Amino acid sequence: TLCFQAFLQMCNLPIRVVCRANAEYMSPSGKLPFIHVGNQVVSELGPIVQFVKAKGHSLSDGLDEVQKAEMKAYMELVNNMLLTAELYLQWCDDVTVEEITHPRYGSPYPWPLNRILSYQKQWEVRRKMKAIGWAGKTLEQVLEDVDQCCQALSQRLGTQPYFFNKQPTELDALVFGHLFTILTTQLITDELSEKVKNYSNLTAFCRRIEQQYFEGHDKDSSATVAARSAKRSLLR
Amino acid sequence: MAAPMELSCWGGDWGLPSLHPESLTVMAYAKFSGAPLTVNTINNSWRAPKGDVPVLISEDTVISQPAKILNFLRKQKYNADYELSAKQGADTLAYIALLEEKLLPALLHTFWVEAENYCSVTKPWFASRIAFPLSLYMPGKMSREALNRILLTRGGPPLYSLTEVEAQIYRDAKECLNLLSKRLGTSQFFFGDTPTTLDAFVFGFLAPIYKVCFPRVQLQEHLRQLPNLCRFCDDILSCYFRLTVSGHSPAGQDTADANLQKLTQLVNKESNLIEKMDDNLRKSPQHPPRKLTTLKLAAGGEGSSPLNRLSP
Repeated sequence: TLCFQAFLQMCNLPIRVVCRANAEYMSPSGKLPFIHVGNQVVSELGPIVQFVKAKGHSLSDGLDEVQKAEMKAYMELVNNMLLTAELYLQWCDDVTVEEITHPRYGSPYPWPLNRILSYQKQWEVRRKMKAIGWAGKTLEQVLEDVDQCCQALSQRLGTQPYFFNKQPTELDALVFGHLFTILTTQLITDELSEKVKNYSNLTAFCRRIEQQYFEGHDKDSSATVAARSAKRSLLR
Repeated sequence: MAAPMELSCWGGDWGLPSLHPESLTVMAYAKFSGAPLTVNTINNSWRAPKGDVPVLISEDTVISQPAKILNFLRKQKYNADYELSAKQGADTLAYIALLEEKLLPALLHTFWVEAENYCSVTKPWFASRIAFPLSLYMPGKMSREALNRILLTRGGPPLYSLTEVEAQIYRDAKECLNLLSKRLGTSQFFFGDTPTTLDAFVFGFLAPIYKVCFPRVQLQEHLRQLPNLCRFCDDILSCYFRLTVSGHSPAGQDTADANLQKLTQLVNKESNLIEKMDDNLRKSPQHPPRKLTTLKLAAGGEGSSPLNRLSP
């Protein structure tokens, strides 16, 4: 969710974050999060970016063709590695599933619905992992992949403030969203966040974006309150 | 020297050393890095693949996925990437992820899910290379796995029918091809003049689309419109796999033939001159008679070896 907020903040568009239990059903694609603008509802990063672009705001206009290709490639890398690793950790690692994911996912619902829904989601995620070949991976291998991905991101970022030098782009928003979630979510073990913390330029990057886009808007208090409550819910 | 390494993978056709993208990637990487691999193509024997192809066997270790095989080769000091900077290494990972997310679903669809393609080309080809009775079962299983993978990774809620998923994945694949073409530009390989891991992966994914003759070929037609990618595949095939590029670049073949003819004419002229010289020498009593090899109009590499013999 944070990558969307970050992206919209970077475009200087004011947003209000609302948490709803039936959010997955309100969304047109069943995926969270989604934005509700006037009488239009758009979900998922790709369509949201295009929607915002159609309204005249775009972050990647300053890039040439090769850079745009690179940006798309890196976004796929993040989706491929980090997102899948996050899903794996949440749903395929038995300890984490029992202690954290099941309670959190099922919390808006009464028993037995909470158990049924979370088992269903777990089964779905495990099926997907099997199809792409991640089912045979152990936790160490997944962490190693995350490490490789972070190393690649860290090397690409280097000493620049953003991935494509001076201006933030969709890639920065996406990376921020994932890394911040990894760094602030409390799991059974801290290994995942430790992997990210090994790369100091990545942690500095997250802090910089947080300061610039999430704490700088003092007047728009609802956004910061919502961001802080989102943080708190992640830390639960 | 490292122990001998054996690679089991699917064989090839239509000018390719292998039809299977992952097998092709590993073979290309081995050629680029100079690793001595003996390639065993799976044929009609009972040593049928247990699902994970390609498989590298070195002494006692058995390694199955392309990424792991490449890692193993790198550890054995067959590294095609040692000239890359850290950032280029990072770019490699990113582009490989792009290929797997955007291009692979469409590739799998073209080979295994598209009904006409599957029934007329893929199934008979693979069935002919697997022993009976597994040949009745394996192609169907591979097809089901491919469809499963496509649906699970791409068939999310807004895309409710298979036709919508297909339309989306082909759109993504064409976009991916366009991005690759832009990234390659006019250079010979993705990172300069020497091929690297990324070139192996791109070649492995593109070459089957480019070369295999299917009845339904929308992806191939799109690829043909990107001449730098076609040139990239042809270059690798002709330089590293010593296979003739037939049919798809007639202009290239003609110039090659013309050059070869000129070369053999020159060589013939040289040898005629030398024959005359030799005759003169033979007439003088001190030198023993010498035999000369006659030149034939030979194809490929044989044309160059007489030239080597004749050069001072």
